[in-house]
Amino acid sequence: MDSTTSHVEFALIGHQDSWQKISSFVNLLRNNSNDVEIPKEKLAEVYSYFPPRSLFDIEVKSITGRIAKGKYIETFISPDELNLKYWKNNIAKVRDAAECASKLQAGVATLGGFTSIVLEGRVDSLNENSFTKFTTGNTLTAAYIAKSLEKACLFFKKELTEQNLLIIGSTGDIGSACVSYFSGKVKKLLLCARQQNILLHQENKMSENKIDAKASTDVETLLPQADIIIAIASSIIENFNPGLCKQDVIICDAGYPKNLNCKLPGNLHERMFYGGMGIVNGGYNFNPDFHADLYSFPDKKIAHGCVLEAIVLALENKKIAYSTGKGNITPGKMEAIYSMAFKHGITEAPLFNTNGLWN
Amino acid sequence: MSTATLTPANTQIYWDVVTDILSQAITGELVGMSNFATLTGTIDDIHEKMECAEHANCERGHAEGFLHLAKKYNLPVNINMDGYYWKNVRESFVRWANKPDFIGCIIMQEVMLECFAVSMYKDVGTALQNHEIGQLFLSISKEEEEHIEHSIDILKAELDKDYAGFIQKVEDIHNDCMTILAEWSATVDLKGHCGVCRGECMKNSLYAAGLDIKGLRGNSINLYLKTLDRIGIPGLKSIEWIAQLPM
Repeated sequence: MDSTTSHVEFALIGHQDSWQKISSFVNLLRNNSNDVEIPKEKLAEVYSYFPPRSLFDIEVKSITGRIAKGKYIETFISPDELNLKYWKNNIAKVRDAAECASKLQAGVATLGGFTSIVLEGRVDSLNENSFTKFTTGNTLTAAYIAKSLEKACLFFKKELTEQNLLIIGSTGDIGSACVSYFSGKVKKLLLCARQQNILLHQENKMSENKIDAKASTDVETLLPQADIIIAIASSIIENFNPGLCKQDVIICDAGYPKNLNCKLPGNLHERMFYGGMGIVNGGYNFNPDFHADLYSFPDKKIAHGCVLEAIVLALENKKIAYSTGKGNITPGKMEAIYSMAFKHGITEAPLFNTNGLWN
Repeated sequence: MSTATLTPANTQIYWDVVTDILSQAITGELVGMSNFATLTGTIDDIHEKMECAEHANCERGHAEGFLHLAKKYNLPVNINMDGYYWKNVRESFVRWANKPDFIGCIIMQEVMLECFAVSMYKDVGTALQNHEIGQLFLSISKEEEEHIEHSIDILKAELDKDYAGFIQKVEDIHNDCMTILAEWSATVDLKGHCGVCRGECMKNSLYAAGLDIKGLRGNSINLYLKTLDRIGIPGLKSIEWIAQLPM
């Protein structure tokens, strides 16, 4: 953490989801070295020992002409550590990163990707007596998942009200927000999560509200019934069997790291897009420009919804912890942050996947 | 971060590792003692001169402490200040002392070398904490920590005086000293045998004491980076320096 403190409007706390990105970044830093590139195995020996720190400045342009300035703070949680085995260590890293944001006197800071999962439900402890307000960014992520899914249905000419929607990770913070948003909007909700008690409670709640829903901890029993899938689990879904999916299913992978690491067959891959993403129409830039190495998307203006939530709050001069805890996201809050973002030309990203943007 | 299996303390391999660890620690302390003694000659202020001599004596005391336990447990330690890595560390320090560059010497001794000492002693002490030897490592780690603390305020003031010049100096010393420490602590000896371990490189046997070289080195780099952060070196800059090190 730098000792020099300068006021920044927002801070983005994050981690990398692939060794490829880390390798590209570290080898870029070694550009003055005559040595050959460091292999992944060697990088893995040291990477996770780096203490959290600010790596680059970010400048975001609103279409209103307002510019917000912030910093990106890397936690150095490695892609191999995104699981329960490293829970204690990850929490310590996120707390160190949060302290870094506080030292920078950031007005608002977002806990991107896995970092919000680590502190979900406990994020409020960060906000106590803190100048910096910490948000998980989950509300805008959920809003962008919802909007992009509606867009995908239009793209494939599917009537939302006639579809069975499977939400994998339905009891998580973003998953439950998607459940709330799509309740009554789709034909049937298929709910999947790991913790059976919470899942049954969610199913019962749907039943009380006369919402047609079916829950299971076994994704394979639900996959054949799904017309649309949102994958928003906290980790890679190992038992996702694409062979069980309907041929015309629409898949939204909104996890970070990506939930579906399996190779989807060609026809399914063409129907899978990355959800929870937004686009900054006014543009944004990094200094130094690590865009190509750390944050590369088919359009340079695309960014994660959780990241954009802090930026929107900064643009709106709202130093508030907009998204905290778990299960507090309502469709009303989703609409509110979506509208705030929209004013600044920040909206859901065009549909895309590894093949590029959909036309 | 990484885990290792703890072999019962009464096995030969365990005591061989402990002996080699003590050999490295004693040699390192003697290098530290010599460095502070050399530094004493570069200082004009009598109070700082006396403090420096006190630090040299402190390092001597640490070496004595380790030697005492080695003798008590009949561990045949090998002290070799002419071993490849320690000799290079010493020569590098003397180059900065001969300039004479007091601040440069402080950066090398009290930041770089002490960060490795504090962190590695803490890890070793924790792994051997049920033994008197482990307790000594832990208490010396605490004392060495004070050396780091002592240097931070001095170096912060230097940074404030000449921001760019100071960062350049730290980078130069980093390239000098940390390169040697990185080679010494790499998973394989990048420059051959250290000349201190009695048999083969002890790194492959550290598991016998519940340790592993990746963890020892990683934690040392972590403390080094945190210390640079506290001094005020920009976070990206120090990561850039670490990325240049041999791995």
